[in-house]
Parts: sequence; structure tokens; C-alpha cells
Amino acid sequence: MKSVEENPHNITQAEIVVGIPSYNEAECIAFPTEQADKGLSKYFKERSCVIINCDNNSPDDTRHVFMQTPTSNPKIYISTPPDVQGKGNNLRNLFAKAVELSASAVVVVDADLASVTPQWVRNLGEPLLEEFDYVAPLYVRHKYEGTIATNIAYPLTRALYGRRVRQPIGGDFGFSGKMARIFNEAADWTDDVGQFGIDIWMTTVAMRSHAPIIQSFMGKPKVQMPKGPAADLGPTFAQVVGTIFDLMCAYEEFWKGVKWSRPTAVLGFGLGEMEIPPTVEVNVQGLWEKFSMGVEARWDLYRSFMPPATFDKLQEVAGLPREAFEFPPVLWAKVLYDFACAYKKRAAPRENLIEGLVPLYHGRTLSFVVETEPMNTQQVEELIEDQCLQFEKCKPYLLERWAAH
Amino acid sequence: MAKILIVDDEEGIRMLYSMELEDEGYQVIALADGRELLEVVEREQPDCLVLDIKMKEYSGLDLLQQIRKKHYDLPVILNSAYSSFKVDLKAVAADYYVVKSSDLTELKEKLKAALETKIPTE
Repeated sequence: MKSVEENPHNITQAEIVVGIPSYNEAECIAFPTEQADKGLSKYFKERSCVIINCDNNSPDDTRHVFMQTPTSNPKIYISTPPDVQGKGNNLRNLFAKAVELSASAVVVVDADLASVTPQWVRNLGEPLLEEFDYVAPLYVRHKYEGTIATNIAYPLTRALYGRRVRQPIGGDFGFSGKMARIFNEAADWTDDVGQFGIDIWMTTVAMRSHAPIIQSFMGKPKVQMPKGPAADLGPTFAQVVGTIFDLMCAYEEFWKGVKWSRPTAVLGFGLGEMEIPPTVEVNVQGLWEKFSMGVEARWDLYRSFMPPATFDKLQEVAGLPREAFEFPPVLWAKVLYDFACAYKKRAAPRENLIEGLVPLYHGRTLSFVVETEPMNTQQVEELIEDQCLQFEKCKPYLLERWAAH
Repeated sequence: MAKILIVDDEEGIRMLYSMELEDEGYQVIALADGRELLEVVEREQPDCLVLDIKMKEYSGLDLLQQIRKKHYDLPVILNSAYSSFKVDLKAVAADYYVVKSSDLTELKEKLKAALETKIPTE
């Protein structure tokens, strides 16, 4: 797919690659580039390294800013063709380039990261030089940050594939050269994977490939532009959820054989630099309105594929007053499983199904926000673990409904 | 018959666990420290590891990190007299965390659950 490549040092081999995917990041990309360079020089100085900006042909001068950022390690710029955009498509170029360079370890950091440090490069890269093939990040996050991961991606991937990876769509990852080849050759690429579905796709493919996975504690919070869970979801929600459902269809023979889940080790670098993440404000009233108005317009859709018991329970929840609102995790698990089955069966156009899930996600998020309001991080994590257990306990419901479709 | 490997520096605990778990039908191997743990795991291929945390010369949490580098699919139950280690990040790598008690009901339940977990190998 690669359309443009600028490789001024004519690099043909590199053991360690840091990839920075971007689109219109001229204002931000110099910082992660400098941090990546420092990390490579400090922690991997005995090895051949390169920093690659994998771009979407940004019209805003990202390429120039990246190439002009002073670094001691060489840089390569690659871009998708002008009509191809998306983080996934950028990473697809990176997979191919990593294979071409015979890389042993590839670290990916987002271009708009204000919190990346040289240690992040070590944390995501070092385990790949030992026994591991895939490194997922473990950030310090505010309890209301990353609610798609907390309420959908983490519990679903854990129940489906049996691996506990707390932040499966963290955005920054490490993967081995072996994993780059697997990604590069994977057949189940979709339009959503080419966009923001890429993170969950990589984590799931790693799980499906039985790759040794580790979570690396990043110490510092991930600082991008914080968004509350009531903010506009944009296309990310559909791309992430669509990818999860597509992979469920592709990997059904695997996940049907998974029972319960296994932990994933954590590498605890730099615990001393742990920082408190910025507070995320939640528009509770906004969540309530998006839930109540959204479901009101979609009862016919829900009725068309949900079993009566689940549909009745959902109507009961929707009838609760705002001050006593609660969306139980068991019901949430069954709702997600029903949507996955409807997606498989194409009970309605798939884009309508995912759009129909959004108000219910807002409802579950509202319930989560209210319930966790008085809790500290540790208590919230325990509650999330309990929610995951509910997903695992409900898996027979999924198996039964999936077989019926 | 599932094979359980216990690592605990207290002889009384090793005896109690061996007796109770053998009564439940498990085959039990007990080690007094973590010195040869990796070799024993390689050789004996246990179905589950029950690992003490605070031992005289070894930390169960550090041993767990070592174990996970090669044996990421081996079920591990951390078993400590202290609940405070539960919040240590390294403890996340264990399947379960059970606080020691003379009543082994919880440990037996977690053992059963750990052995039930199934992820297809292909």
C-alpha cells in the first residue's frame, strides 16, 4: 500500500523500530519524535534503531516537521496514497516496513501524545527482546477515562479470548518482528481495522495467535485531549465495536472453546514516577438524555432480535427514574452478546445495529459513573473485574444465542 | 489427576496443604523455597502452582514474574498471610489471590476454578 517513502539514510535493516502514526500532526509530532529518540539512545544504544513516521499524506506539513526534528537516530517517512486515511492503514505500512527491515521489536506511540517519555519506549520495547511478542500498555487513567475499553473492549475480549488485557485499545503498543509478520499477513483486514479498529484488532490477533503477551506499566498517565464519556463518540465507537464483532465472526471456532480467563503479567517499570491522572468531568445529564431519547426511538429494533426476557429487562431499566437509574452488568453483558449475534445474522443493517448500541452504551456508562462516584481507583478496578466476571459467567448465554443464529 | 505444586517456606503449611489436597484427589509436590522452582516447573509440568509471597529468601511476586516469562499459561494462585500484597501490580499476573487460613475452602474453590479455565491450544 505504501505510496511515498523518504529514507535519507538509506536504512535497510533495524533491530528496533519506533513507529509514529499520524494525520495532520505538524503541531505535535516533534515531541514524541524527540522522546522516542532519547529512549532509543538511552535504552537501546547498542542496537540499530530507526524512527518511522507512518503518515496519511498529511497536508499540514507533518512530514517536514518530522524529518526536520533533530535526532541522533535515523528517520524514515512513509505515507499511504493520498486517498487512503486511517491509523490502521498507517500501521499496515509500518508492519510491512518492519518486516522489510527485519526488526526484532516495534514500538508504536501516538503522534499527539503530550505525556510520552523515553521510558515508554523502554517499557514497550524491552519485553520484546526477552520472551514476549506483544506488549499492551497499562496507564494510570482516571476512572471515567476510556469507558469504551472499560465497558466493552476489556470485558468482551477477556470473556471471548480468555486473556485479561486491561487496556486492549490503549493506542500505544509494542510487538515483535514475528508479530509484525503475523499482522502483515493476516487475512481478516476490514475498512474499520484500517481506521481506529486497528488497536483491538492487533490485541485480538495477538491473543488468537497464542502470542506471549505482557502488560507494561507506563507510570505516567496518557495525556491527550481528554474527553468525557458523554462527549461525541465520533466514528471510533463504530470502528472499535464493528471490529470486535467482525473478529467474533472470524474467530468463532476459537472463542467458543474458551472458558473463563487467564491473567496477563504486568511489567512494573518505574513505579516511582506514578502520577495522578487529570480529572475527567462527566456530563451526567447528557448521558441520561442520550440514553433515554436514544432507546425511545429504537424499541422496534431491539425487539426484533433480543429474546423477550432480555428485552423486558431492558424496558424495565429504561423505566427507572434518573435518580435511581441502574444498568446491571449482567444485563449489559447479555445486551452486548445479543448485538453480536444480531450482527452475525445481519438482523438489521450492521451500521444501524451499531448505531442502536450507542444509547445503551451511554446508559451503561451512566450507571458506571453513578456507581463509582464515591470510589477510589482500586475500588473501581475491583468493580470492573467483577463486571468482567459477569461477562464470563454469561458466556453460555452467548454460546446458545450464537448457535441459534 | 491434576498435579499441584506448592511453594511455601513454612513446613506446617506444606504438610497441611499436602494432606488436604491429596484427600481431594490431587497429586501434590511441595517445595520449601523458590531456588529450583523454574527447573521443577519444567520437569514436573504442574497443572497449578500455589505460591507463598513472603518467604525467607524469596519473594513469591518476583518468582511469579520469572514464571510468567516462560509459563504464561500456568495457573498460579498467590497464597499469603497478608492481604496487602494484593494491590501490588505484580500480583495481577496471578490467576487468584487467596489469604491464608486454616480453612482451605476458598483455596480449594480457586484451585478448581483455575483448573477449569480453558483456552484452546489451536
